[in-house]
Amino acid sequence: MKKIVIFTALCATLTFATEHEHEHGGSFEQSKFIPDISLIVDTGYVHRNVSNTELEKSAPTSNYGNYGTFKEFNTNNGFNLNYAEMMLHSNVDQAFELDGIFHYGTESVEIEEAYFTTKALPYSLKVKGGKFKSDFGRLNSQHAHVWDFADAPLVYNSFLSPEGINAPGVQFQWLAPTPWYMKLGFEAMQKGNGGTFANDFDKKDGEPLYVGYLKNSFDIKDASVLLGVSYANGVSNIKNAVSAAPIYKGNSEVYGADLSVKNYFNSYSFINWQSELLYRDMKSDDVTIGKDKKQSGYYTQIVYQMDENWKAGLRYEDFLQDSYGAKTTLNASYKTSEFAQLRLQYSHDETFKMYGNNKAIDEIILQLTFAIGAHGAHSF
Amino acid sequence: MKKYIFALLFLLPLTLFANLNIAVTYPYIGALTKAIGGEKVDTVVLAKGNWDPHFVVPRPSLIAKVRDADALIMNGGQLEIGWLPPLIDRASNPKIATNAKTFLDLSQHVELLQKPASVDRSGGDVHPDGNPHFHLDPNNILILAGTVKEFLISIDSQNSAVYEKNYAHFSDMWNKKLEMWKSKMADKNALKVVQYHNVMAYFNHAYGLTSIATIEPLPGIPPSSKHTMELIELIKKEKPCCILHDVYHDTKTAEFISEKTGIKVVIMPHDIGALDTIEDLVSLFDYLTSAIK
Ligand SMILES: [Zn+2]
Repeated sequence: MKKIVIFTALCATLTFATEHEHEHGGSFEQSKFIPDISLIVDTGYVHRNVSNTELEKSAPTSNYGNYGTFKEFNTNNGFNLNYAEMMLHSNVDQAFELDGIFHYGTESVEIEEAYFTTKALPYSLKVKGGKFKSDFGRLNSQHAHVWDFADAPLVYNSFLSPEGINAPGVQFQWLAPTPWYMKLGFEAMQKGNGGTFANDFDKKDGEPLYVGYLKNSFDIKDASVLLGVSYANGVSNIKNAVSAAPIYKGNSEVYGADLSVKNYFNSYSFINWQSELLYRDMKSDDVTIGKDKKQSGYYTQIVYQMDENWKAGLRYEDFLQDSYGAKTTLNASYKTSEFAQLRLQYSHDETFKMYGNNKAIDEIILQLTFAIGAHGAHSF
Repeated sequence: MKKYIFALLFLLPLTLFANLNIAVTYPYIGALTKAIGGEKVDTVVLAKGNWDPHFVVPRPSLIAKVRDADALIMNGGQLEIGWLPPLIDRASNPKIATNAKTFLDLSQHVELLQKPASVDRSGGDVHPDGNPHFHLDPNNILILAGTVKEFLISIDSQNSAVYEKNYAHFSDMWNKKLEMWKSKMADKNALKVVQYHNVMAYFNHAYGLTSIATIEPLPGIPPSSKHTMELIELIKKEKPCCILHDVYHDTKTAEFISEKTGIKVVIMPHDIGALDTIEDLVSLFDYLTSAIK
C-alpha cells in the first residue's frame, strides 16, 4: 500500500513538472528531462472446465513441490486484471542508462525490474546491475506483453517459476567479433527465485545463482535463425507451499537449448518456428528430505503473422519424464494498431492432476493488452 | 578460435589505416555517404530498400553489423523509433551512441514539414516531430550531402580534402539534375494526388503537387471499407490525377478505388532498391519525375 502511494506521488510529480513549465515560462524548465514513460494494461476473461478451487487443488506434474495453480495471469474464471505495468527509461549520464519497471497488481506493487546498464564500455562489453530478468533461454527476459501466447510454457513455469529467473544481481555480456551475431553472457544473481532455485528455508548468506549462455543468430535470405544454449547453477532449498515441510535441499542445474527460425515474407508478415528444451538435474544433499531428480520438458510453437492486424499461433508442449500428457494451445490475435491487441486463446492441458487423478483442463482466454506512452521497440 | 583471436590481434594495427566503417539506416543514406566518402569509407546499410521503412525487422544479425561500426548515420524524425533503439542498445558500441560525435541524425539538418501542433494516438501512429520522409525532395538531397560532408570531416579531418572534392563533384552533378527534373515536372504543378501513406509529402512539396487524401484512414492504420468508400466519393468530386502508391503495401485497395473511379495507380519507389531498376539516387529521381504521366 505504501508503495502505491510512493508511485502515485512520483506520477504526480512528473505531471506537475509538465504543468510547471508553463507557469515559469521555461527559465528553470525541467520537463525535457522526464524519462520515457509507458503504461501497459493487461486484462483477460477466462472460462475453464474446472473451478478456481479445483485448479488450486490440482498439482502440476513437473514441479518439485506444490505450487498451486501454477499461473501468474488469468488465474480466475471470469474477469481478471492481470497487471498494469509502468516503465520508466532514461539515460543517467554519458556512462549509464536506467530502467525501472513497476508491476501493479490489484493489491500490490512490485519492482519487476530496476537496473542500470553501461553505455560506454569498450570491447563490445556491457554490464547490467540491479534487479532484472535473466537472459536465460529465449523467453526468460521477455515481458508478458510481448509473448506470443497468453501464458508462459509449462516447462518455464515449472523449472524457472512463473516469475522466471528475476532477482538482484549483475550481468556481463560480450558480443564476439564474429561475422554473425554471437553473444556470450554471464550472470551472478541472488538466489531466491521461486522455482528451482527457491530459498525457502535454511537460509545461508551469499549463495548466488550463476547463469551463463551463448546466443547466435544469422540470416539465410529473409529468414533469421536463432540458436542458443543456457545454463543455470544454484542451491535449492524448497519447502512445501502448503505444509511448509522441507521437500528438497541440494544443488540444481538447469540446461536450456533453443532454436528459432523466423522467416519474413515482407515488412508485416512472418512465420516463426520456435522450440526450446530445458533439462533439470537436481542433486539432493539429504535424501531423507528429497531425492535426486532429473527431468526435462519442451515446447515447440509456430506463429504466423498474416498482416499488420492478424496473427495466429499453435503451441505443443510436454515433459519427457513424469509426464501425464501434453498441452496444446491455439490462439489468434487482432491488433487495431501497434498499441492495442485482442487475443483469443484455447488450450487443452493434460499435465495436471486434480485430487490425485489426471484431469484435462480446457481453457479459453480472451485477453486485451494496451500500451500508452513512449513507443516501445518492436520485439524480435 | 585461438587462431582467430591471434589473427585479430595481428590485424589490429592495420585497422588504423583502414577505411571508416559507417553504418547507415536506409539505402539512400548509404548512397550519399558513398558519394561523399568515396574510397575512404565503407558503408553498411541496415534496412532493405523495398520494405516499409517504418517497419524494419530488428534482426539480431543487424546488431553484428553495427557492432564494429565507426559511425552511424540515421534518418531520424522518429522513422527508426520502432527498430533502431534496441540495436543500438544491444550493440555495445559507444561510437554509435546517440551522444557520440560519430552519430549523425539527418533530420536535425533539414526543415521538417507537417509538424503536428499536438499529437494523440487516436489520430493514428503519427510522426510527432513532423514528416520524416524528407529525402524525397531532391533539393534536400543536396542539403543532406553537405551535412554528410561536414560530418565526415568532423570525424576524419585528415581526409577533408577528399570529402570537399567529392562533395563539389556531387553538388555540380546534382544541380544539373535538379534543373532537369524541375523542367520535367513543370507541367505537374498544382496537380492533385492521392497516396497510401504520406510518403511523398516532400516530393509533392518540391514540385507543387497537392496530396488530397491517403488510402490509410489514419497514419499507420490499414485501410477500412468505410474510409475507402468516402475516398471514392472524394476522388469523384476532386478529380485527382492518380494514386501515388508505395512498393511495400498491397495495392489491392488502390486497385479497387481505381476500378471505381478510373484514376491511375502509379507506383512510386521511396528509396534505392525499392524497384530493381532503382540503383542509385539519380535513377530514383529520374524514375519519380517520369512516373506521373
Ligand atoms: Zn511515415
